[in-house]
Amino acid sequence: MKRILVFAVISVLCLLMVTGCKKKDDESSTIGNVTDKPINITHWFWADNPDYSAKMQQIATDFNNSNNMNIKVSAQEYPWEGGGYSETLFTAAMGGGGPDTAAWKLTSTPLFKANNLLAVLDSYIDKWDDKDDIESNLYEVMKTAGGSDSIYVMPWNTQILYVYYRPSMFKDANVAVPTTYEEFLEACRKLTRDTTGDGKTDVYGFGMRGSTGGQEPWGSFIYGRGGDLSDFTTTQAVAGMQDFINLFKKGYVPPTAPTDGFNEIIANFKSGRTAMTIHHIGSSSGMVESLGDDVDAFPFPAGEKQWTSMGDTENVIFEKCDNKDAAFQWVAYLATGKGQEEWCKTTGNVPVSKRVQALPEFQENKFMKVSIKGAPYAGIFPILDTTTEWISTIWPNTTAAALAGNKTAAQAMQELQKGLYGS
Amino acid sequence: MERKQSALSRFLFLYLPLTLILLFLLFPFYWTFVTSIKPEQELYGRVVTYWPRSVTFSAYKSLFLDYNFLHPMGNSFLVALITTLLTLFVSSLASYSFSRFRFRGRKAFMILFLTNNMFPTVLLLIPLYAIMRNLGILYTPLALVLSYTTFTIPFSVWLLNGYLSDLPMSLEEAGMVDGANRAQAFTRIILPVLVPCLIATGVYIFMTSWNEYTFAVMFTNERSRTIPVSLKNLIGQLGVQWDLLTAGGIITIIPVCVLFFFAQKRLVEGLTAGAVKG
Repeated sequence: MKRILVFAVISVLCLLMVTGCKKKDDESSTIGNVTDKPINITHWFWADNPDYSAKMQQIATDFNNSNNMNIKVSAQEYPWEGGGYSETLFTAAMGGGGPDTAAWKLTSTPLFKANNLLAVLDSYIDKWDDKDDIESNLYEVMKTAGGSDSIYVMPWNTQILYVYYRPSMFKDANVAVPTTYEEFLEACRKLTRDTTGDGKTDVYGFGMRGSTGGQEPWGSFIYGRGGDLSDFTTTQAVAGMQDFINLFKKGYVPPTAPTDGFNEIIANFKSGRTAMTIHHIGSSSGMVESLGDDVDAFPFPAGEKQWTSMGDTENVIFEKCDNKDAAFQWVAYLATGKGQEEWCKTTGNVPVSKRVQALPEFQENKFMKVSIKGAPYAGIFPILDTTTEWISTIWPNTTAAALAGNKTAAQAMQELQKGLYGS
Repeated sequence: MERKQSALSRFLFLYLPLTLILLFLLFPFYWTFVTSIKPEQELYGRVVTYWPRSVTFSAYKSLFLDYNFLHPMGNSFLVALITTLLTLFVSSLASYSFSRFRFRGRKAFMILFLTNNMFPTVLLLIPLYAIMRNLGILYTPLALVLSYTTFTIPFSVWLLNGYLSDLPMSLEEAGMVDGANRAQAFTRIILPVLVPCLIATGVYIFMTSWNEYTFAVMFTNERSRTIPVSLKNLIGQLGVQWDLLTAGGIITIIPVCVLFFFAQKRLVEGLTAGAVKG
């Protein structure tokens, strides 16, 4: 009896080992370069709602039917999960599986690049006919994200910050749309008014975001005085911070600004408490719904330098993908082809393809038009190990202390420098 | 006077706390349901309403017609059912062996079973993913069944072992004296007595498999998605489909409620069985 049992156990173990050694890549089966057989590409993406999900499936189907390389893309939706999407992707890739291509966030690039999971796209982009259809600045942003001179990430669509303003308030205060940084600061002053005559300010010039996420509009002030994000301690960067503090000290922004987040700045703008605020196209439909024609936009004006923050969604090709040529065809279709057009029309995101940007549907949308104008000087914050904590804790706390007068602009910038770069 | 005081104290110390606890427990379900039947303008409107001004079931319609929710429901049901049956089959035999036979390594195996549940599931994700991939079962329901049973079998063995150890050996011995062999004694004598405990264990396994997310998101794709992943897909980066999400949530708890309804009596018997050692 014992012998039979031992024999059975050994047999099962052998069977498992044999089956285990037999590698089956059913999740991304790629079939060489034989053109009569389909080249299968698995693409992972997240969608904000079922309509977007259905659109991506339709884009994949259209691509499958229209490409002449017999490439068959299987689009697989994965939950965004508050950014957990990237972790799922990482686990799958480290487990030897995962997709051939995937929708992407730039912040994940260093981790995946450090583990050699991403394909370098330089040679593909150099040979690509549509290379110049994408703003060269975007390629630079992609390089910055990877921390090298190589491109690992293919641009797809963006959300570029700009200034929302209330034309009626500009008219009442006799203010023209600012075209320079100085004019913008002046507009903040002029638009701050007591409209009811009770001696109290009821309209503030600018809706400042002092809570988490506020570093994005804040960056534009730093560049406005000629500073940049590589060194916060320069005289120019400190001067930009001083402007930011002055807006609060002089009462041109609501007194709640140090703790105001996304919801507050949008609500203040919609209710008429502020005359200007900074956000991207994602909030435009809500603005129009609340304010009708009494909302417009302009790019954050240029000072000594011009910069605005950019939200991003890209695509990547994984190193383990056997048919990178086919995978590139797919991500190129999403970047400059019909896929780009369809996706941006549905989601309202800003296209990266100049051809698509020039389409009447995008040009006729005033918010889209301003977003597109901002693309050449849009950028991102440095992606470092410290970035997440810097954004969520260090920037809001330090800025709040500076606004409250507990720190000078120079001290605050020194602290921000230390928090992000360590020195 | 005494009766009045007694009624007051019953109200203050029994019914009032009970009502408050019930409110606390049931309000999330109520709110989920109310959200699922609110029209869009009311759902995203500025005024919070505790009962919709106009009731609509469009979210439920959209969930099944546009979102194809039946597909993940079918997958979830399949995975949960197979996991339950497989776990009950394996663990009832295993626990019978552990309770009735004394063999070398018995204690070591029992402890080994427990250690399995001590590891956080996230720690096992990458190894399990690689194993499923190499076995060629990744993105099939079998991958989920295997990974779930990895955790449910040890737990069930311990649960059933406690109950079986309480059953006197004389039960089977009597049957065996009358001519039954070991297998017959197990199936005809022990198994019927074990039913309440099997139901309790089965309900636990079914619910665990039905609601599991971490493995489900890794080991399934569009074809084999289960309910928790499908519902999570409705929470996007820039927005949440509250109507569909809450409608899906309500639909998801229905099978569990039905299961409880039928198994309630046996479930209580099963959960308390083995708790008192004689």
